[in-house]
Amino acid sequence: MLRVEAATELGPLQLDIDVAVQPGECVALAGPSGAGKTSVLKVTAGLLRPDRGRVQANGEVWLDTARGVDVPAERRRCGYVFQHYALFPHLTAWQNVAYPLREIPRRQRRPRAVELLERFGLAERSSARPHTLSGGERQRVALARALARRPEVLLLDEPLSALDTRTRAEAARELGSVLRETEAPALLVTHDFAEAAQLGDRVGIIDAGQVVQLGTPSELAASPHSAFVADFTGAVVLTGTARAGAEGLTDVELDGGGMVRSTQPAEGPVAVSLYPWEIAIEAADGERHGSAQNRLVGEVISLTTVGNRVRLRLAVPQPLAAEITLASAERLDLRAGATVTATWKATATRLLAG
Amino acid sequence: MTRPGWFPIVLGLSLAVALTFLTLPVVAIFIDSSPADLIASLGEPGALDALRLSLRTTAISIGIILLVGTPAAYLMATRSFRGKALLVTLIELPLVLPPAVAGIGLLAAVGPAGILGGTVEAAGIELSLATAGVVVALTFVASPFYVRQAMTAFAAVDRTLFDASRTLGASEARGFLRVMIPVALPGLVAGMALALGRALGEFGATLMFAGSFQGITQTVPLAIYDRFSTEFESALALSAVLVAVSAAILLSVKLVQGGDALGGWRAE
Amino acid sequence: MGALIVCAAVAAGCGDDSDDGGGDADEPVRLVVSAAASMTAAIESCAPRFEEEQNGEVRLSFAGSDELAAQIRQGAKVDVYAAANTRLPDELSSEKLLSEPVEFATNEFVLAVPGDSDIDSVEGVAEEGTKLVIGSESVPIGAYTRTMLARLPAGQEKAILANVRSNEPDVKGVVGKLIQGAADAGFVYVTDVNATGGKLKAIDLPEDLEPQVTYAAGVVSKAPEPELGRRFVDGLTQGACADALKESGFGPAP
Repeated sequence: MLRVEAATELGPLQLDIDVAVQPGECVALAGPSGAGKTSVLKVTAGLLRPDRGRVQANGEVWLDTARGVDVPAERRRCGYVFQHYALFPHLTAWQNVAYPLREIPRRQRRPRAVELLERFGLAERSSARPHTLSGGERQRVALARALARRPEVLLLDEPLSALDTRTRAEAARELGSVLRETEAPALLVTHDFAEAAQLGDRVGIIDAGQVVQLGTPSELAASPHSAFVADFTGAVVLTGTARAGAEGLTDVELDGGGMVRSTQPAEGPVAVSLYPWEIAIEAADGERHGSAQNRLVGEVISLTTVGNRVRLRLAVPQPLAAEITLASAERLDLRAGATVTATWKATATRLLAG
Repeated sequence: MTRPGWFPIVLGLSLAVALTFLTLPVVAIFIDSSPADLIASLGEPGALDALRLSLRTTAISIGIILLVGTPAAYLMATRSFRGKALLVTLIELPLVLPPAVAGIGLLAAVGPAGILGGTVEAAGIELSLATAGVVVALTFVASPFYVRQAMTAFAAVDRTLFDASRTLGASEARGFLRVMIPVALPGLVAGMALALGRALGEFGATLMFAGSFQGITQTVPLAIYDRFSTEFESALALSAVLVAVSAAILLSVKLVQGGDALGGWRAE
Repeated sequence: MGALIVCAAVAAGCGDDSDDGGGDADEPVRLVVSAAASMTAAIESCAPRFEEEQNGEVRLSFAGSDELAAQIRQGAKVDVYAAANTRLPDELSSEKLLSEPVEFATNEFVLAVPGDSDIDSVEGVAEEGTKLVIGSESVPIGAYTRTMLARLPAGQEKAILANVRSNEPDVKGVVGKLIQGAADAGFVYVTDVNATGGKLKAIDLPEDLEPQVTYAAGVVSKAPEPELGRRFVDGLTQGACADALKESGFGPAP
């Protein structure tokens, strides 16, 4: 398990965090740029020394400013994937991966490195230099290199942000499976809540150096503690299978039941991305009005008031968050347990390749 | 067909003038006498001694410069501390010092009557009128060329590469040797070429500080100066060799910078 | 080094010497004098008086006489050439580059040592381990030195030559090394020792060893200012510069 406590001044910012990550768990810290996310990783890795702090990894104390303990970065077994990968340009892919393999005999380093690259489907590119690899390939080499010597802790800095949208989906899936496989606690930072939600078991929203809320992605979307969190969490994601439908629209069969339509073409497994504020709520038995194509009936699980807005957590049956004005919520007399219809437009239904 | 405006013509003319001015003296060295005479005068023992001495002293001084200058440049490039700007200026100072001033400086510092002259003598080291003195003079005038270039080269290397190296278990020293130096290499080599050229051509400070004696302190530039009034052929021959060596150095630098040896990854 | 660049530039433009004859009446008259390094102090002190008398400007250039001769051979625009021997002016004259040389002064060739030195004779310089600095072969002071050494018994000559640690391009270099404390002894002119103001002392050589040091000067053939040049050369035997030379310790013309 990883525990990171740090309090330090970062220019105009005061960083103050306390995060614990269980073995096998991935905690994603999501927040706007400049919030201090990368600094958290640096403190954990030993690249930044906080004014006050304590870092403990799997029983080993790496940092304790109170007792003057500061294990140098090279002796902390961290697997760190940098935002732009930091691959050594003068070394080939396998040489990059072999770089940390000092403890195994020289002869075995190359085979072991190639083996790791194979896990990521890059065995034939093992003799290529980083500048000849595509963005997605580089990301995988960086990952392989970070995992090469079975680190105690895995640290990821915006692992998907440098990739183009097409590669990103594939990479996200790949990364997700790596995270599920590894026993090491993983700490990931990103500015994209959707990424955090997809990869993290728990997500911590970080703003101006502080973690303002920590919980599962659906908790955060449904019950944001503040307007900031509400705005930051943004889109909600439903999963399903798409196929071409009538009238030139795409039909998406949602996992667990329900059907929605989208103007975006797609085929096969998809993720449906919706913004809570684009979802309107009606009484369950309401007649269909207007042009909104999508209608799902579901149960209100919880309501959270945030200023003059209300966040509703619905089960349709997948968790769905909707945001309406407080006034409307009062008018509809909504409460937990009520059955309502969530409606939104097909044009507002974004599909992401699953 | 469009008529070229006057501006491109002016540019072209400037280039032509500059090229002529720069290449003519060099070309003249080779045309002014026959190759047979040139080679004959090269065979003369004084000339060979001068060549050997120049190569030896330059090699030693470059060795010192690389060994001491590389870590120093790295420190300056990667850390910031109070008074750094001043330190950088001090290191770059010999760059703008006229060689004669460099000679005076060396005399005032480690010459027989200099501040540390007594210490040097007590340590049993002979600098004035000795080959060691030549090495000192060359190192002094040439090191800023390397250090300044090396500083720029190291500063341009992405710091996250160094961080990555540390997170992968490599000590700072290992990261310096296995990552920072290879990535900064073209800049380092360019700096070394500049320093080499400067050291090979050093004249004034050497003459004042170390004197001129065949085989001991008379490097090629000093030998050229000694000969040009009475043995112009010999002076030409030595000049030709120096030009050829300098050209060879420049060419090798271009090759390394082109990145051919490293598979062209620097073209990125 | 500067001389090399001058030569190269001049060589490149060799043959294109367009002499536009006497200077314009509007331009200030300028005389260019190349003189042996040993005359530096003397000529620098008398030049202002010459400038006043002749209402012109004097540009002085001091270096080893051999280097100056080489520049003139390469076509440098010099008016007057004054050397520390007669050989170089004679050579230039026979090459039709200089007017008939005029012998205008003599100098004494001496052994110079630091003021506090124990050495008191040429024999002392033959001792093993003595650091000796002399002029290079092609410069007059170096030629005189070798002439003098050749007059010594062979063994002594060899021992002294073995002690040579530097062949300087001109007397300034020899004096410099002595003043720095880098050398124990050197062969220069008595005028050079006088100019150090006591830092060095001169040891006279026995008469049979003394080389005859005669200075000669002439007007360069393609001089831009031949008239003014003639007047300057005359002034070396009689006039402000002759007096200055005498003051510095030069002897009269032979």
